[in-house]
Amino acid sequence: MRWKYVLHVIGALVACIGLTMIFPLAWGAYYGDGSAKPLSYAMFLTVVSGVVLFFAFRDPEASKASSVMTHREGMAIVALGWFAAGFFGGLPFYLAGTFESVVDCVFESLSGFSTTGASVLSNIETVPRGILFWRSLTHWLGGMGIIVLSLAILPFLGVGGMQLYKAEVPGPVPDKLKPRIKDTAMTLWKVYVMFSVLETILLMFGGMDLFDALCHTFGTMATGGFSTMNSSVAAFDSAYIDYVITAFMLIAGINFTLHYMLLKGRFDSIIKDPEFRVFAGMVVLAVIVITIAVYQGQNYDNVPDAVRYTSFQVASILTTTGYATADYEMWPGIAQAILLFFMFVGGCAGSTGGGMKVMRIMLLVKHSYKELFRLIHPRSVNHVKMGKTVVQDDVISGVWGFFILWIGLFVLAAFIVAGTGVDVVTSFAASLACIGNIGPGIGGVGPTDNFAWLPDTAKWVLTFCMVLGRLEIYTVIILFVPEFWRK
Amino acid sequence: MRIIIIGAGEVGYHIARRLAVENKEVVVIDTSSEALRKLAEASDVQTIRGSGSSPKVLEDAGIARADIFLAVTDSDEINLIACFFANMLGGEKVTKLARIRGSMYTNYKGLLMDKGAGITKIINPDEEVVNSVLRLMSVPGAVEINEFAGGKIRLIGMKLPDESPIMGMQLMHLRDRIGEDLGLVIAALVRDGELIIPSGLDEVKKGDIVYFVCDIRDQDEIVERLGIDTEPVREVMIIGGGNIGYKLAKALDNKYYHTRLLENREKRCRFLSERLDRPIVLMGDSTDQDILREENIQDMDMVIAVTGDEETNILTCLLAKSLGAKRTVTRVNNFGYMPLIEPIGIDYVVCPRQSAINSLLHFIRRGRIISSVNIRGEEAEALEVIAVEGSPIVGKEVKDINFPRGCLILCFQRGDEVVIPRGDTVIEPEDKLIIISTRQNIPKVEKVLTTSVEFF
Repeated sequence: MRWKYVLHVIGALVACIGLTMIFPLAWGAYYGDGSAKPLSYAMFLTVVSGVVLFFAFRDPEASKASSVMTHREGMAIVALGWFAAGFFGGLPFYLAGTFESVVDCVFESLSGFSTTGASVLSNIETVPRGILFWRSLTHWLGGMGIIVLSLAILPFLGVGGMQLYKAEVPGPVPDKLKPRIKDTAMTLWKVYVMFSVLETILLMFGGMDLFDALCHTFGTMATGGFSTMNSSVAAFDSAYIDYVITAFMLIAGINFTLHYMLLKGRFDSIIKDPEFRVFAGMVVLAVIVITIAVYQGQNYDNVPDAVRYTSFQVASILTTTGYATADYEMWPGIAQAILLFFMFVGGCAGSTGGGMKVMRIMLLVKHSYKELFRLIHPRSVNHVKMGKTVVQDDVISGVWGFFILWIGLFVLAAFIVAGTGVDVVTSFAASLACIGNIGPGIGGVGPTDNFAWLPDTAKWVLTFCMVLGRLEIYTVIILFVPEFWRK
Repeated sequence: MRIIIIGAGEVGYHIARRLAVENKEVVVIDTSSEALRKLAEASDVQTIRGSGSSPKVLEDAGIARADIFLAVTDSDEINLIACFFANMLGGEKVTKLARIRGSMYTNYKGLLMDKGAGITKIINPDEEVVNSVLRLMSVPGAVEINEFAGGKIRLIGMKLPDESPIMGMQLMHLRDRIGEDLGLVIAALVRDGELIIPSGLDEVKKGDIVYFVCDIRDQDEIVERLGIDTEPVREVMIIGGGNIGYKLAKALDNKYYHTRLLENREKRCRFLSERLDRPIVLMGDSTDQDILREENIQDMDMVIAVTGDEETNILTCLLAKSLGAKRTVTRVNNFGYMPLIEPIGIDYVVCPRQSAINSLLHFIRRGRIISSVNIRGEEAEALEVIAVEGSPIVGKEVKDINFPRGCLILCFQRGDEVVIPRGDTVIEPEDKLIIISTRQNIPKVEKVLTTSVEFF
């Protein structure tokens, strides 16, 4: 493990993150709301820290073309890089005095980068707009991934890029769209930017100003969930805006490889994709069942309203965005049960969504069925298949390991949160909402509440959970395994 | 530039890594997911699992958009079929290179290259190895010899004796010491296993291997003035009568050499003695000291071990050396053994796969780079470039060419003459330049050679 090299690369990452603060700084200056000064301080501190790290830990040996980044180094860079991003991303909040305590700043920042969207901000509308823009921008950067972004723009990461890419991109087996990792990262970002521009324009047609349109686009495309309004998207009270955001949440929840294929004109690849089919099927079925339930439960007195609010909430929860236009805690039991199940599932592999991913759930179900099948036909030889490709056994065992760790860490976090004096429903909901990168949960952290009232210990634990969930457990948890530190 | 490689074996693996470092788009196809995983972890390439001879797989790999297609699996047949389909699917514009060893195919090169599979170049690693052994024999004392400008210019690596006149001397005084009449440039020094591309201030130290470039006509004179012992090679023992051993013996089948060929399979011995005229074919085991003594191993100028088994080759060479043979050449397949060879006392290594990689890389270079060779395994490369009209380097003085550090213009050929450049020498169109560069800087050198920045 070459620590100098790890810190060197993290330095570059931090400097990049610092540079992105120029955008909120510009908004702050434009509105003259007093956020320009703290933002420029934060930007200065971040860029300088990054540059100092980068140059202090230059290692000529490591930058030779013949040296190869190991798995371990890749994971350490990504995991530590994310924590560093969370820390420096919290600086604007701290310097602007948005929060008093450090934990709140880091919580809000990592909630942004990890696209969770859980907030400790009680009155959003009083916060300077420059700061709000940074809050939303962290979503957008973290959605497609800060590492993937750096792979696209930092040329020197090319050699060990695959290790970094694998450590950040969600899903059991990351796709490589192009022969070179740099091109792959660039392509993904291009698709991402394209959809974002499209959504911003569509939202502006619905009456939002550019600022709100951009912030909500960031929250949608990254499946984050930060809004600029206290009552989230409900504040705009427009069916058009609701449907636009619903559509783009679903788009963001689909594997971006498929979007790329679609843009290249290969329509059949998206329709034939088994994960997409299951994802789409789940959405359609849930919308039908919940619409019937809320209509019969007299939550809404006409069908169009029921469909509008149901589809928004289903898309928001399944893709782990976390925007709200309705308080689903008032809905009938079956509706809540389905949404709760969706919190575990999350988006597709290779999307910006959180959760365990549809692909993994499918593999687990298929593998379990294969075991049953074998009990009936003990001599049968069969494989788990995704579409027509056989899934290798090591992938399956990786998915089982992930499942156990995910559930285990979720429960452990819930225990710790409960230990700080929080009620049991809220404890479980909060840790699920954080490890699944969803945002709102149920109970004390439902769609109409926020995380501000939780004790500090609980906030630290939940902050950690958000990064665990975004980097899909292994990359982070590996740092806590003693074997990792042995020479 | 998109390059598709069939086969992730030793050759495919190393070529893919080299090209990925140079920022090419590389797609590698192999049937072994294990080999592909190893490659994907070591370098930035795309891997596809499947058979390289399957048209479907080739389509998936993007053969239609490919610039270069390399078929380097261990099977001649798969390589041929892959090239055939690549020709059908990718058309004429795809440069197709195939590694083909079987003489039943290589004897019909024309058939494979023109009509049938449209292969641009056939690489036969065995032939390359035979050629490199022959080159080594032609300059006794050299550790490595490479040729440029159609064999007119040579890059020779030699270990200098301690009493050499240039020992301890700064390179800027080289011409005073060696004489103004001879064209000679020191391209690189290898000191303690590390390659240095020197400036005039660097000194030659004891134990250095010196790489220099010269006109082939001056070669013998230079070697003598450098104080290197130039006893010619005449007594040769080849160990292993396989494909390479046979070809080598065939090449040495003349009055000048006294060649012995040792082979342990009786049938093969008969085959060899039927086809060889002067060389003595011996049957026996190479690790049998008695046979080696009987054949006066201590008088051999060179022992060349080229059996298919590299461990046998290495041990045989060590044994021959301990019995008094002057120089030994061993054939190694596994790159992992390469760094070992020199320290344990074997003089030269030849490696069919390395040779194949070298020849393949010649073809992949962009612009007007017409050939290139590796020095010291993979640390540096010498490139041969034609300065075409319109290239940004033409018309410039050498000192104004904006090369990165660690790159040198060694010399160039103008017409029939070999010119050793000075700072104020102006590059003219059609000059053939020999440039040495460290590996990392190759893309930068290519850039300097090919792109001209236009401001208006």
